[in-house]
Amino acid sequence: MWLISLRDLQFRRRRFTIAVAATALTFAMTLLMAGFSATLHSEIRRIVDVIGADSWVVAEGTSGPFTASTVVPAATTDAVAAAPGVDRASALVLLHSAMSEPEDRDVNVIGYSSGGVGEPPVTEGRAPEETGEALVDTALEVAVGDSISVGGLQLRTVGTSDGITYYFGTPTIFVPLENAQAMAFSGQDLVTTVVTSGKPSTLPEGLEELTPTQVRVDLERPLANGTKSIDLISMLLWITAAGIIGSIIYLSALERTRDFAVLKATGAPNSALMGGLALQAIVLSITSAALAVVLAQLLAPLFPFGVEIYARAYAVLFAIAISVGLLASVAGLRRAVRVDPALAFGGP
Amino acid sequence: MDLVIEDLTVEYASGGYVVCPIENLSLEVSSGELVLLLGPSGCGKTTLFSVLAGILQPASGSVRFRDTVVNDLGGSALTHYRRSTVGIVFQAFNLIPSLTALENVQVPLLAAKVPRREAGPRAETLLTQVGLADRMAHRPGDLSGGQQQRVAIARALAHNPPLLLADEPTAHLDYIQVEGILRLLRELATSGRVVVVATHDERLLPLADRIVEMSPRVAARERPPEHLVLSSGDIIFKQGDPGERIYVVWNGEIELLRRREDGTNLVMERLRSGRYFGELSPIFGLPRSMTARAATNAVVTGYTVTDFRRQVGAPSMDDLILGADVRLQDEPPEAIEAMGDGH
Repeated sequence: MWLISLRDLQFRRRRFTIAVAATALTFAMTLLMAGFSATLHSEIRRIVDVIGADSWVVAEGTSGPFTASTVVPAATTDAVAAAPGVDRASALVLLHSAMSEPEDRDVNVIGYSSGGVGEPPVTEGRAPEETGEALVDTALEVAVGDSISVGGLQLRTVGTSDGITYYFGTPTIFVPLENAQAMAFSGQDLVTTVVTSGKPSTLPEGLEELTPTQVRVDLERPLANGTKSIDLISMLLWITAAGIIGSIIYLSALERTRDFAVLKATGAPNSALMGGLALQAIVLSITSAALAVVLAQLLAPLFPFGVEIYARAYAVLFAIAISVGLLASVAGLRRAVRVDPALAFGGP
Repeated sequence: MDLVIEDLTVEYASGGYVVCPIENLSLEVSSGELVLLLGPSGCGKTTLFSVLAGILQPASGSVRFRDTVVNDLGGSALTHYRRSTVGIVFQAFNLIPSLTALENVQVPLLAAKVPRREAGPRAETLLTQVGLADRMAHRPGDLSGGQQQRVAIARALAHNPPLLLADEPTAHLDYIQVEGILRLLRELATSGRVVVVATHDERLLPLADRIVEMSPRVAARERPPEHLVLSSGDIIFKQGDPGERIYVVWNGEIELLRRREDGTNLVMERLRSGRYFGELSPIFGLPRSMTARAATNAVVTGYTVTDFRRQVGAPSMDDLILGADVRLQDEPPEAIEAMGDGH
């Protein structure tokens, strides 16, 4: 009976095409939403991995180095470096600031010690070695050699790195520790955290060790509402897609009531009719999902915030699309099953 | 006999009331015979087809085709019967618009899980047999009414059924197309099938070996008035009876009842002296839509439509149909009055 279902799709191809286009757009939006959500999590993972510390040492009671404003004296670095289990220790200053030149942009600033733990990866140029130098994320579209003004300091770009963002895609600038202290603490010798290579077994009093996982979880906390909202919107989009598919299948079942009656009167079992409608729902879902993949690829670069769509998201899209299609077609299937074969005897 | 219908009564619910389009019908048909079910719309032709196709269960009686008692079938046996024993040519063709003629004929075969490599040649043979060898790839929308009817017949013959039901096969065809379809139906019967054709078209009468009038016609003939002296509870006519007369209530009360789905009767109207009832049935030749029963001792007189119009001063047919109040010109005959008094 699949022949009838496929022929019906061909016969009503204009409506089918419109439904596929609308459903594909909805599916593409769910893919983009999944991409946003993935980017939020992956950029956090990336920044923690880039620093590459085994431990993050902060003032006791601090929830995390990125989210809290507590500080420790820079001298703490030596005490931590001397702790058993620690190979190397370096101070970091983490702050959120603004770039005013060449254009106004929000930026994350990380002050670090050259040659220490937490050195940034370099895509082009080199890492800052002296005060007044900066390494900027490519998202800022600043070339090596350009001057930038951040937090009231004039800096010279000596290198770029790629994909180092956090807080909803805000690009990161790496500067020498002193420059960051000047921006954040008016030059006081304070630091936000001490990162180590090797894990300290004990720490001086008043300090606390955080694992990279704890740092990541802490950094994700402010994003929780954002990701929940994205998940909610994704769910609404799935429901919208289900509504489109369901209404098309139900409409098809309504229009084909007489056909179903004829088929039943001539001995076609209910299972054949249900299978035919379910097949239409699946074809509609899969075609829409395939088109959605193409649409998402085309639309993703248009968004200013990075959209990372992983292969798993595509696999999930097809699986959910088929489930949504089948679920949405239930009303149509029930309608087909309830058709009285005696209707076939009616007039035109 | 191949098809035996015994004392068949079919009832179904419609709008909460019971309708009984077929009552105590008996019929025997042999292979090779073409039976014409003749009657107007609503007389039960399609209902009988539904029973013969195993779609509707009768209230009583039985339908037997060869060794199969159709009304005893259920589940897969019924599905098998519908597939292999009965072929149906539906009114308005009922072809699937998205399929070609060839695919439409294949549908019953594919539904029965016949492989496509067998269903295709079989469908081609049937379409060739009905004269559509050159129209196989056309969709119904591209075929004339007569061609669509031929496709419908080919589809009905897909499983080579020994019983063929054709519902109003000429209803949507012009006279040129009708000729071909009638010849085809006759050929199908002659080749050893039982062919049952439902129609209201009396031009088909010469086609039939046997004619069943589903709605016996009441000749509009002159009859003397029928005076009835009734005791409380006496029935004047029953729902479903053929209608011949319009009744006038001279004294007592008459109630009009309609049978409900749950088996109880609902009093639709209660009529006193000077009122009339039962006018639509004889005017339109319809079965009685309600039962008339004496609610008290009563005296009524039944008139033919012509007599009734004379009795009430020849009101227009519109007045009668619309149930307008009419003024009876005559007093009840003395004999009737006396009978009523004596009650």
